[in-house]
Amino acid sequence: MKSRLFLIPSLLMAGFFPSTTDAMPVAETVAGKIPVPSVLERLRLNHIFTLAGHRSHSSHRSHSSHSSHRSSGGTGYSTRRYTPPSTVYTLPTPTYKADPTPVIPSYESTTTPTFSAPLKVLPGNTDKFKHIVMQVQTALTAYGYYSGVIDGKIGPSCKSALSAMQSDYNLKVTGTITADVLNAFGIAAN
Amino acid sequence: MISLSIQVEPFPIVEPLIVRLQESGTEARSQHDAVLLDIDGHRREYNFQGFSFVVRTPPDECIDGDVLLVLPGQTSAHRLIRASSHHNTLLVTEQCDQLCVMCSQPPKKYHTDLFDQFAVAAALAPQGAMIGISGGEPLLHKTRLFEMITKVAVERPDIRFHVLTNGQHLEPSDVETIFQLGRERILWGVPLYSANRNTHDRIVGKDGAFARLELGLVTLMRAGASVELRTVVLQQNWSDLPDLATFINTRLGFISVWALMQLERIGYGRMNWDSSFQDTSTEFEQIRRAVDIATARGIRTSLYNFPLCSVPPEYRDFAPSTISDWKRKYLEFCTDCGARGTCGGFFQWYSHNEGFAALGPL
Repeated sequence: MKSRLFLIPSLLMAGFFPSTTDAMPVAETVAGKIPVPSVLERLRLNHIFTLAGHRSHSSHRSHSSHSSHRSSGGTGYSTRRYTPPSTVYTLPTPTYKADPTPVIPSYESTTTPTFSAPLKVLPGNTDKFKHIVMQVQTALTAYGYYSGVIDGKIGPSCKSALSAMQSDYNLKVTGTITADVLNAFGIAAN
Repeated sequence: MISLSIQVEPFPIVEPLIVRLQESGTEARSQHDAVLLDIDGHRREYNFQGFSFVVRTPPDECIDGDVLLVLPGQTSAHRLIRASSHHNTLLVTEQCDQLCVMCSQPPKKYHTDLFDQFAVAAALAPQGAMIGISGGEPLLHKTRLFEMITKVAVERPDIRFHVLTNGQHLEPSDVETIFQLGRERILWGVPLYSANRNTHDRIVGKDGAFARLELGLVTLMRAGASVELRTVVLQQNWSDLPDLATFINTRLGFISVWALMQLERIGYGRMNWDSSFQDTSTEFEQIRRAVDIATARGIRTSLYNFPLCSVPPEYRDFAPSTISDWKRKYLEFCTDCGARGTCGGFFQWYSHNEGFAALGPL
């Protein structure tokens, strides 16, 4: 018992607060800040009404341009076509953590909310691009077009190296990584 | 009909990619932008992060600012956002917990979570855009949906959403969240087909739907949300319309607008056309009464998807052009019609010999 009594204050002093104390003040602020209107106030609010037009659920039907039978084959974004073999398409490791409490940030009264995660490129493609760029840079180096760093980024010198290579190989000169460039170097991209 | 898909040449991606197409001669505005390099007939080549991204589309088609969803291994990309259109809608899920007799997009069992991609796409939309959120039932993935809208709201406070939902998955605990997302941010499109709960439940194919919807509407009201109440006019609810107007007057006076909608002949709507389509060109009386009752109380009322010539002259002001640009068509007799400029026309899949009997140029 004695050690317990001492333990807690010393942890507090060392800055180890029980995890709940962190959340407490936040919860209070949030509760105080959100001015959910009463029913009477509700009637005085100005509402948007934009004629958003008719938006029916079939809006994306034509996405299924390859399905033969509209009414039953109409799929949204047809992702399942490539999902089953996980070698072809692996769902990204979820960047979203299933948190029981919604992670809606509390808005300031100025309605400029803060949000932790900026919209960013999903990592899978970024890694893939980088990997291909490094292969291309390596090949460009080997063929004497490029003397820069193999960093997976296409900078000005890498661009001009690509243009020079495309010109020599009678490819369309774009300064970008094209299917032709990948084929010429024998790099399998897909 | 405007195509919502676009051909792309194979691109080395391992997961769904969002790309915005940007005109040539400028720096990429963001890491999601592909800058046009050149146009060669149907072939448009873009620079996307140093890679050539190739799109095939007719040379005269304007796709600048469009936002595409490219899926690995597919040569057809989805035009999620067309910069020149006001009719952009994201289909966030195909799952649904109802089975409506007129459903235009019958539900599917499986769901692919593309909310992260949708958030990126919405944040790339033109200034001030209103983006539709549809399904399936979007609120089956409520947490993810709210998270997505929040992300976009932070990045792009000017973007608004029009969420089509059956309203049955809203809990009292959602009031704060909805309020935070903002009544200016979201217009909730919620269907109600009859004031008679049995009729409503039968139309949506779900027992207890009406009761749950009532609770959902209370939540929206308490959150101060903007609500567009939507009623598809059917043979099944034709005689109920005046009662429904009274119900709205007495119980749902907080809504922003009541939309009476004509049927879309696709999906189950096509299958059940004969037993559901109500020809309002030959008989308008129930709508007339419903509109009169609702407007007398000051409820803003609107007729969606009604060709102007199907509506009596004194009610045409209630019928704005609502059919989305990409699935709108006009019939032969529309050529000589003086009202064509303000009329929304017909759905692409409307079949005139099974449709309105008394139409003609105005």
